[in-house]
Amino acid sequence: MKRRTVFLALLMLTAMAAFAADKVEITYLHGFTGPDRPFMESLVEKFNSSQTGIVVKTQSQPWGTTWQQLAPLVASGKAPDIVAINEDQVTGFAARGALTELTAADLKNANIAKAKFYGPLWATADYQGKSYGVPVHSVALAMYYNKYLLQKAGILNPPRTREEFLKAATAATVDKNGKHPNDATFDSTNVVTWGTGVVTGWMGGTIAYGVLRQNGADLVDKNLNAAFGDAASIEAVQFLVDLVYKYKVASPNGTEESEIAAFRQGKVAFNFNGVWMLEQYKAQDGLTFGISPVPRLGAKMDAAWGGSSHLTLPKQKAGYDAAKRAAALKFVAWLTQPENNLYWTQAGGLPTQPAVAADKSYESNMVSGLFSGLPNVYATSGYPWVGQVRGAWDAAIEASVLGKKTVTQALTDGVVEANKQIDQARKALQ
Amino acid sequence: MRREQRVNRKAGVNFERSWTPWLYLLPHALFFLGFIIFPLFFGVYISMVRWDPLRDTIPFVGAEHYWELFSKGTPQNEFFWKTLANTLGFVAVSVPLLVGSALGLANLVYKPIRGRNFFRAVFFLPGVLSVSVISILWRWMFANQAGLINVVLTEVLGGTAVAWLTTEGAAWVPIVLGTLWWSVGFNMTIYLAAIGNISRSLYEAAEMDGAGSWAQFTKITVPMLSQTTLFVTVTTVLGSFQLFGQSLLITGGGPTRSTQSVIMYITEEAFGNNQYSSAAAMAFVFGLIMLVFTAVQFWLNARDAKRVRL
Repeated sequence: MKRRTVFLALLMLTAMAAFAADKVEITYLHGFTGPDRPFMESLVEKFNSSQTGIVVKTQSQPWGTTWQQLAPLVASGKAPDIVAINEDQVTGFAARGALTELTAADLKNANIAKAKFYGPLWATADYQGKSYGVPVHSVALAMYYNKYLLQKAGILNPPRTREEFLKAATAATVDKNGKHPNDATFDSTNVVTWGTGVVTGWMGGTIAYGVLRQNGADLVDKNLNAAFGDAASIEAVQFLVDLVYKYKVASPNGTEESEIAAFRQGKVAFNFNGVWMLEQYKAQDGLTFGISPVPRLGAKMDAAWGGSSHLTLPKQKAGYDAAKRAAALKFVAWLTQPENNLYWTQAGGLPTQPAVAADKSYESNMVSGLFSGLPNVYATSGYPWVGQVRGAWDAAIEASVLGKKTVTQALTDGVVEANKQIDQARKALQ
Repeated sequence: MRREQRVNRKAGVNFERSWTPWLYLLPHALFFLGFIIFPLFFGVYISMVRWDPLRDTIPFVGAEHYWELFSKGTPQNEFFWKTLANTLGFVAVSVPLLVGSALGLANLVYKPIRGRNFFRAVFFLPGVLSVSVISILWRWMFANQAGLINVVLTEVLGGTAVAWLTTEGAAWVPIVLGTLWWSVGFNMTIYLAAIGNISRSLYEAAEMDGAGSWAQFTKITVPMLSQTTLFVTVTTVLGSFQLFGQSLLITGGGPTRSTQSVIMYITEEAFGNNQYSSAAAMAFVFGLIMLVFTAVQFWLNARDAKRVRL
């Protein structure tokens, strides 16, 4: 009796081991550690239960930890099979050789169609003509508008152009005597409601980046050197500075936080922030507001800042199992297909592809007000020194908005600083 | 034979098993070598090469990253010294406040006043919070428009609002006050313990000689606490030099890097710019500067302590 039990147990163990050996086990590291984590975990569970030959093990940790650990992990041949990497980091890792290219053949075999995604979003993880990641998560800068204040100011639709925006912001800026900035007796020290806000810090640089792109400029040129000192860039930043000092439709000394507070309190008509603010604003009692793409404040095209996470396959040690790579690509394809992206967007992200944005379930969802802008969302990506460029750019925006330097001076200084840092970063990459 | 053993025992050394003491030292030595000595030398190595674990070959660059700190025109030269000056300014303002008010508070709550345990607990309590919590609190209070301080300034006192977080200089106020509120209780507790060790007879004698409470405080309490003050000052200076979280979370180092601390800049260089070697070089230079400060403080206080004893 006893012997038989032991025998049976051994048989079962052997069977289980054989069963497990048949399965390809792959690891997936991501940074969705907030309220979005259960959504990602349930997607992975769903994938695992739909597969007989693949098991995906997830590991989640704060993004910053991954940025610090990925290089040593790759160097020691212990990198996870799949890593989600954000838009501002992905080019750096690609350039440093931490990631493997997703070749046309890879994508074709895994049935991943690049053309189905929003173009600029896909291109975020491209470097030197090669693809390194598939977009799994997307966010964008949005314009929130206070419907009540706009109605009071006689504005019926959210502005789409610079002229409309200025007109609406001027009409919504009201001092305690009911005067607007275009009235001679307007008192800018006693304003009851402001039109908009111009902020400093990372958010300030992020908003300004969108206007810069709208002017047809970019933070770097085709040689990937800092290039935000040209006329188009200066014009874009000058417009934002003018909102405060010339048009007087934005409160001076705005910070991202003070503008959020003012918008929640109904004291400012327009607020520019990420789509992630939507739930907070929805929860605000007495605030009736809408969300729309950032209007065309620049001269040439529609554009706004976007952030994203991309599924990448890190470089592995020699002799890496080809079955693992195939399994990883299969999982990447599955996780980014429309049905699963639709489920994922419930956690607060935006659709990564038009097919998802067109889903009926969005018809009654306020966030769809932003969808017409999704094809024109651009990340700060494509150069391995995003940190250096953004640091100098954000500092230049801050110096301009606070009036420490003229816009031209601030941007010229910023370009010089960024290019010095880029030179050093280039040396480190050689 | 027996006598020899006794002698040996007296000397405390067993010559037959001379490796025994090494065994006792081994656990600590292993950790010390593994977690202090090795990282230290590895850090020196990183600072003298162009380090990136992903590179196939890691080029040796000698003192290049140290040289960048001292050659005009490099970003490192500009920002390292600027942020170091910011940090020194913070140390110069916050340390006297943190030591002085800790001593003052300890002196107050040592006295048998009503509710002194309550006050001791209240002053110590903020210290249990994390830096993120206190930073968010103080950032809210000093927010440019709807912050508590500005609401009081404008609506209660009828004055004008101050753009605390975006004005150079003013941006230090929430950082310094927040730090003071957060960490004064720790120093106060150390002082409280030390005050308890001062013999009451000294005060009784002074009282009989007609010394008032101020004279007792300056002539007995303060000198008797000089060793404690040395300890408190050194730890507070070292702690203040490590300023990071408060600047990062209250002002983000702004406006225009005016509240960025040197640790913040080193972190930016390492993990924002991926310049690990340059950041390692800065960390060593900064560490040396801290070492000098600590040595000077020990020397000054040792001299003072000697003078008190005479």
